[in-house]
Amino acid sequence: MRTFFTLVFILLSHTTFATEQAEEIFAQLTPSLYQIKLIDKASGEKSSIGSGFQISPDGIIATNYHVISSYARHPEKYRIEYLDYQGNTAEMDLVSVDVINDLALVKRQVDGDMPYFMLSDTKPIKGEKLFALGNPHDLGMIVVPGTYNGLKKESFNERIHFTGSINSGMSGGPVVNKSEQVVGINVATSGNQIGFLVPHEKLIELFHDYNKEAPEDIKQQMAAQLFSNQNKLMKALLNNTWQSKELAGKAMFPVIEVPFIRCWGDSNADKKDALILAAIANCSLDENTYISSHFFTGSVEIEFRYMQAKNLSDNKFYHLYQKQISRAGTGNRAGKDDVSEYQCNNDLITPSSTANTSNTITNKSVFCTRAYKDFPGLFDVLYLGASVDKNQQALVSHFTLAGVSQENAMEFTGKFMEAVSWK
Amino acid sequence: MEVEIDIMKDAKVGIIETEPTIPVSNDDLPIEQGEIIIEEITRNHKLLHRHRLKQNNITIGRDYKNDIILTDPHICPQHLSLNYSQGAWCIHDNNSVNGTTLENSECKKQDGHKQVINDGDVIILGKSQLRILFKNHSIADTIAFSPFESLIDLIRHPVAVFTSIALFILIAGNISYLNQPTETNISQLFVSAFSMSLLFALWPAGVALVSHLTKHDPRILAQLGISFTFFILLWLSDLLEEIIAFNSASNSVLGLIITLVPIGLAFSLFWLNSYIGFHVSAKRRIIVALSITTLLFGGTYLLQYSKKPEFNPHPQYNATIMAPSYLIAQSNSVASFLEQSNALFEQANKAAQQE
Repeated sequence: MRTFFTLVFILLSHTTFATEQAEEIFAQLTPSLYQIKLIDKASGEKSSIGSGFQISPDGIIATNYHVISSYARHPEKYRIEYLDYQGNTAEMDLVSVDVINDLALVKRQVDGDMPYFMLSDTKPIKGEKLFALGNPHDLGMIVVPGTYNGLKKESFNERIHFTGSINSGMSGGPVVNKSEQVVGINVATSGNQIGFLVPHEKLIELFHDYNKEAPEDIKQQMAAQLFSNQNKLMKALLNNTWQSKELAGKAMFPVIEVPFIRCWGDSNADKKDALILAAIANCSLDENTYISSHFFTGSVEIEFRYMQAKNLSDNKFYHLYQKQISRAGTGNRAGKDDVSEYQCNNDLITPSSTANTSNTITNKSVFCTRAYKDFPGLFDVLYLGASVDKNQQALVSHFTLAGVSQENAMEFTGKFMEAVSWK
Repeated sequence: MEVEIDIMKDAKVGIIETEPTIPVSNDDLPIEQGEIIIEEITRNHKLLHRHRLKQNNITIGRDYKNDIILTDPHICPQHLSLNYSQGAWCIHDNNSVNGTTLENSECKKQDGHKQVINDGDVIILGKSQLRILFKNHSIADTIAFSPFESLIDLIRHPVAVFTSIALFILIAGNISYLNQPTETNISQLFVSAFSMSLLFALWPAGVALVSHLTKHDPRILAQLGISFTFFILLWLSDLLEEIIAFNSASNSVLGLIITLVPIGLAFSLFWLNSYIGFHVSAKRRIIVALSITTLLFGGTYLLQYSKKPEFNPHPQYNATIMAPSYLIAQSNSVASFLEQSNALFEQANKAAQQE
């Protein structure tokens, strides 16, 4: 009985303690918490909402880039407003963005020094209790306790894995530790208590850069960030080992050995009535860069498909095979205002790496590219290679890269084309 | 007017009195027996009947006593008469209810009473029309058999027609076999190929029907033979186009030229359809064939153009691939492909700036 009481007491005191702590944190920090609203100038109504928090006494507020992305893309159409804990609203200026890490700095007018969030000097430790703050679904400011679970595995741009429910509208809100210091910024969720945060180091860096020299033009700043990020990504892809792997024991394809490119496989070997046996391997980068709700970039997709005819004439096999490759699509969403239409060419190509060997392959190769309108020098590219040298077998090699420079795209294409062959 | 009537009366008398073929000694008024060709025509100047008469007095009307008996209820029993005298034919309306109108070759209409008729004039009486021709009416030159004639004779042979339709069914069956993503059986393929050939037979049948209605000569076998031969040729040009697209790189000149072949073939088909079915002038035939071709290809192009979205986010590329037995061209190196592709970036940049 005594043990039972002790247990109940411990449990009770623990929950009360946690609740008290959360309450205390919330009470202290609310004056520096804001709801960020994007107001459509023409209709006067809000078009998107998110959260933000003040990080300097002179009114610099941090939030997510995706909360204010419409303004960054079309400043003439929107204005940014904040709503503080007392219900005051006023307009703000966008002063700096980090489009890669989904961060933005906005600035409000202040009369005097104001309370603000301290950014932590240290990283949290795995299992540490954290508190996410924000305004989910426009329901009012709330605090959500959760656990730090390290950095997301296999990510190119780091994200913190936070176990706790983060909902839309909380985007841009801070995540603090027990000592009320910011360790991350709410950015995304994949449901069921799995949330993702931008590590606070990225914010420190952005804030530091802003203090050193404020960017003159947000679009130029974004262009520079996208350009340097694709350089970093493509360098990582091009300079790491390209491991040659077998596909269905008949073809060789490259697998780039970097942790952030993940591969999946599938085949229709179980389908007895299929006319063509197909084995598919596809590898992709799981993350992409949000530019606006209809414009994403930074994606990488690679696919290989081996096909073998089952009791088919060559003509019919090739007819069905052509249907398979006639609709290769884009890897990323982009609209009329963002990109040009695709420009394509095609030719019959035999890579020199395996020419005159038994592995040699002859492909009908298609290359397409489209240019970014607001970020000159960046392109989406698509490559499709379809083998045309075996009567009853086919190998399709395909990739799409989004938001890369011409130089990187060409280097990747050349390396990719040479790396695919028959076994 | 008075003088004219007198002349007519004289002439009438003269005709009765003189021998038909012996001219009168008077140089100005050679008296001979009148000879006239009267054509019953429709309002569209299509020939119904042709009468050739060798007499100086011709009566026209509904009455059975007339030389030319017309059944039109708007015509009087003794509607009009034509009289020959002094080398000229004159028209005389017998106070008919609806009158008579004379239309000359310049389409000028005038009251048909007591008028001199010229070669090619049209008499309008009631709702009927008669065209008057003299025996020295100029006719068009004889049209020599064109080289097509022997070709058409060959193609309209029942065996040739049967062969071309059978070949067409075979091709249609093969195409539907190639397009089926699942296993198929022969009877299914045959049914779809047969219905396809029935559908395609509508065109020659339609042309034959129109030609039957206008000329009473359908020539259905010739139309069928020609049409199916050209359908097969069109399919062959498709195949050729595919082989060229497969073997050549993008933007090849040959690829552009080959797209004109189906247009040329369609024009030839329509020209031959019209050659077999209708007797019209060469110029008109070319215009008709050209118009149908333009309508067909221009219409298809317009339809595609109207369906084209303002911005297409999907890449449009030609990925024609065929079995290795169709592979004729030498393949290129990766380096040359990259060089080609490099030019696309410039194009894409230009496209991005334009819009």
